Amino acid sequence: MTRILSRFALAALATAWFAAAALAAGPSYSLKVDGLACPFCAYGIEKKLTALPGVAGVETNLEAGTVTVTMKDGATLDEAAAKQAVKDAGFTLKGFKQLAAGGGK
Amino acid sequence: MTALRALRRLAGSGLGFVLLAAAVGHAGQARAAPQTFNTALPVGKGDFLFRGQFLYQKANRDPSPADRDLEVFGGVGALGYGATGDLALFAVLPFLHKRLELTGPSGGRIARSTRGIGDAQAFARYTVFQRDLPGRNFRIAPFAGLKLATGDDDERDSFGRLPQPLQSGSGSWDPFGGVVATYQTLDYQIDAQISYKANTRANNFSFGDEFHFDASLQYRLWPRKLGSGVPGFLYGVLETNLVHQGRNRINGASDPNSGGTTLFLSPGIQYVTKRWILEGIVQVPVVQELNGTALKSDFILRVGFRVNF
Repeated sequence: MTRILSRFALAALATAWFAAAALAAGPSYSLKVDGLACPFCAYGIEKKLTALPGVAGVETNLEAGTVTVTMKDGATLDEAAAKQAVKDAGFTLKGFKQLAAGGGK
Repeated sequence: MTALRALRRLAGSGLGFVLLAAAVGHAGQARAAPQTFNTALPVGKGDFLFRGQFLYQKANRDPSPADRDLEVFGGVGALGYGATGDLALFAVLPFLHKRLELTGPSGGRIARSTRGIGDAQAFARYTVFQRDLPGRNFRIAPFAGLKLATGDDDERDSFGRLPQPLQSGSGSWDPFGGVVATYQTLDYQIDAQISYKANTRANNFSFGDEFHFDASLQYRLWPRKLGSGVPGFLYGVLETNLVHQGRNRINGASDPNSGGTTLFLSPGIQYVTKRWILEGIVQVPVVQELNGTALKSDFILRVGFRVNF
């Protein structure tokens, strides 16, 4: 009985944590990056974008040539800053689109 | 000629070319990139790349009666830094152990060896042309630098001063430059480079100037189909290296047993992830047109890693 109760409590806590995280995430953006053609390229781009203020997470899709940037709650991504970050990594920003106003992944 | 002088001549003559091949004159760069020369792919602004390479060279195809047998073991460290998105700076430092066995004038086998830090290199590479497209890019980047006389060039053994080609360092400061072009897609990459190094004089000795033409094809073997995210890539690699070196000069006179032209064919393999690369390649000389009794190379094996941070 004790074991059942502790497992239920754990599941409830995990659900609450994920729900809170989802609600706390800011907007997400899809960046189209030209020139992105190998795994090593992805690291430099992700590092530069992660260093921008308010960025919570960055995910690259190599085949699609896109980088999804998720912001912290209340933060937005400036297109000019994103363009410069991609340029500093050695590549070219070709598209910039906001995917969702908030709610995370 | 005294026996000792004869030994020095046998040991030193005709080694320059084969030892040149062992050197990492091209720092390369930490991307999916050639293993025996540079690439034009960028180093991000403010980012660092480190590359370590271990090499083993065997050369015992000796046309002279000395039956020379040369082995070179070594390691090379190269650090790259992105000063801007277009300008990258590199520093290279080798550590080499060279061992030469030969038959002396009296008929017995003699071994001579050196071990130590070699001549460092510092160079800059600048992207002058860049075209980025979806899933592919093309770049052209000239580079120029200097080989520094950081290695010991006065090592001695019981037979006296070792000949210059066996020394860890050359004692000379040598400028070099060239241009590299890279075309990269999600499936394969092609790199090509030409370069020239002017070898200056030190200790009344100068190696012949060097001309290099290098080309590389890296083809993605796995995964065959790309999904989402950033998977590791396994590349099959085929490189070719054409090296021409002029004759060495000793006390102002041309050494007839030095210099020539070699063409290497170099198959390899490379595994590339976001943060690191593991790779290996073997350079096999398919053409060796060397002057006089210059020692010919059997092969050069290189294994290494790269990491960015």
